[in-house]
Amino acid sequence: MFKLQHVNKLPGVFLVVGILILASLLWFTPTRAREYAQETEQYCLSCHSNPDLEMTLPSGETLSLYISQEQLKDSVHSPNGIECEACHTDITTYPHPAIEYQNVRELSRSYYAACQKCHPDNYTKTQDSMHAQVAEAGNLDAPICTDCHGSHYVQPPDQPRTLIPSTCGNCHTEEYSTYQSSIHGNALVQESNPDVPVCTTCHGVHNIQDPRTQQFRVDEPDLCASCHADQEMMNKYGLSADVYDLYSLSWHGVDVSVYDARWPTIQHNSAVCTDCHGIHDILNPDDPNSSVNPDNLLVTCQKCHPGVSPNWTGAWTGHYEISLQRTPFLYYVDWFYSFFTPMILWICGIYVALQIIRLVVDRARRSLR
Amino acid sequence: MSKSKSPPSSMTNRVKILRTFPRFSASQRWEHAILLVSIAILLLTGLPQKYASSAWAQVVISSPERLAIIQQIHHITALVLTALVLYHLGKACYLIAKRKLPGDMLPTLQDIKDAWNMLLYLVYIKKQKPAFGKYNFEQKVTYWFLFFSIGILIISGYTMWFPETITRVLPGGVIPAAIMAHSTEAIATAIFIVLWHFYHVHLERLNLSIFSGWLNEEDMRAYHSLEYDQLVRKPRSNQDSGDINS
Repeated sequence: MFKLQHVNKLPGVFLVVGILILASLLWFTPTRAREYAQETEQYCLSCHSNPDLEMTLPSGETLSLYISQEQLKDSVHSPNGIECEACHTDITTYPHPAIEYQNVRELSRSYYAACQKCHPDNYTKTQDSMHAQVAEAGNLDAPICTDCHGSHYVQPPDQPRTLIPSTCGNCHTEEYSTYQSSIHGNALVQESNPDVPVCTTCHGVHNIQDPRTQQFRVDEPDLCASCHADQEMMNKYGLSADVYDLYSLSWHGVDVSVYDARWPTIQHNSAVCTDCHGIHDILNPDDPNSSVNPDNLLVTCQKCHPGVSPNWTGAWTGHYEISLQRTPFLYYVDWFYSFFTPMILWICGIYVALQIIRLVVDRARRSLR
Repeated sequence: MSKSKSPPSSMTNRVKILRTFPRFSASQRWEHAILLVSIAILLLTGLPQKYASSAWAQVVISSPERLAIIQQIHHITALVLTALVLYHLGKACYLIAKRKLPGDMLPTLQDIKDAWNMLLYLVYIKKQKPAFGKYNFEQKVTYWFLFFSIGILIISGYTMWFPETITRVLPGGVIPAAIMAHSTEAIATAIFIVLWHFYHVHLERLNLSIFSGWLNEEDMRAYHSLEYDQLVRKPRSNQDSGDINS
């Protein structure tokens, strides 16, 4: 009897030790996808490959429970061995535990937390984003991981690159359509241009911030400069890469750089790139609809300088080198002072130096005499 | 002056007589005092704005409110300087109309000769300094340099202050030109005042006649011998100090 009892305890000990080893493996390498490798997919699909499988939630919404096997095989997760149970951790076998979510949105917002297990960095970034703030303020439509990336059929989000603006455009429809007609959006769609900015280039990816803040505003010239001050990239399109440096020397640019360096959160009005060029609707300055086309420039200036006369636009020299053709007044003033100031310095300096020498030598001679 | 040599042999007694000669009227001394203070304030409030991105300027311009105050001080001082310039020009016009403007300050051919002779003296080619009248060429250069540079600074300054109004009449290109002229001319003026003017009135000799209004006999003989000769030969009443009331 005693011996039998002893033998019966052995499987229990093995089970406890086994669970401990497994748990420690999971605990110490939580980001390694391979650890989630399961063989549950085929088992789950035995029911969920039925296109008619669906259920009705308490809100009255119909939740389709169908999973397309082909699309699943195409996604980034399934072929890498990350199967159903990696995310659906509460479902281990059939029958499933009862679904307690009132509606589809509540279900999505609950399940997306599963992404954190393997993608903790990006998940944490989203918690600081504008979208998370909006959700906290009560808007449950604010996007979560699965809204942009999909849930079961996750694909690389930037292949092709046009996918990025169209993903954002699902919600930001107005900005998307404006962007598409802009010089950047047009080049992306028409020419599959690899250089033009897409939404995420300027707004960031997971930690998207509010672009209406003063900080975003004063940082904006640097943002545009990340491409427009790139000599190599600008050469490809016959654009000047000096626009940023010259802007930084202009009345607006000096002002903005001081605010950027010292008071980035304090409201001020000196023009940054987008104030004149537009934001999502940036066009080629030669385009008759461009806000910086010579025909429209006065109206653009008058946004900040109300009531100025047509001569006013001539005061803007911000993106150009000083030249006789374009800025004759500035050219002559620059020419004059290029020799006048050094001349004053040298004449005064030499004359005073000669006088000091003569004075000192004379006094020395007198005292030696 | 304690260093004075014994009086000339023509003098019979041993009492030292310190003769002084009127040089600037009260009005001229006030004009200089206001000019000095306003240029100092304009430079002190202008330079931090020109070099706003440098570290030392950021000590002064520590907040946008500070910047606004500094600009306001600059503007008010500019108005004072403008009033001073208008008074100065008005007085000159008045004196011209009454045919009483003393021509001492006007540049002449003699000044160029004096400058050349002075240069020869400084490089030991000539033994003697040229003899000067009431204003030597150095003082005329000081006056006329500041006359024109303050003119440029005032015109470009008002262009920057009221750009919207200016461009109703003038092309827009004058605005950036005025910005450049204002800040560059100010530097040239500061260099000139420190090197040229400060040397002549502080280092070469301490000349405080612009504050006191008079110059002693020794300095008159050493630096304005022509005027001195003229004054001691002629009766004092003929001398014109350039004041309205004289």
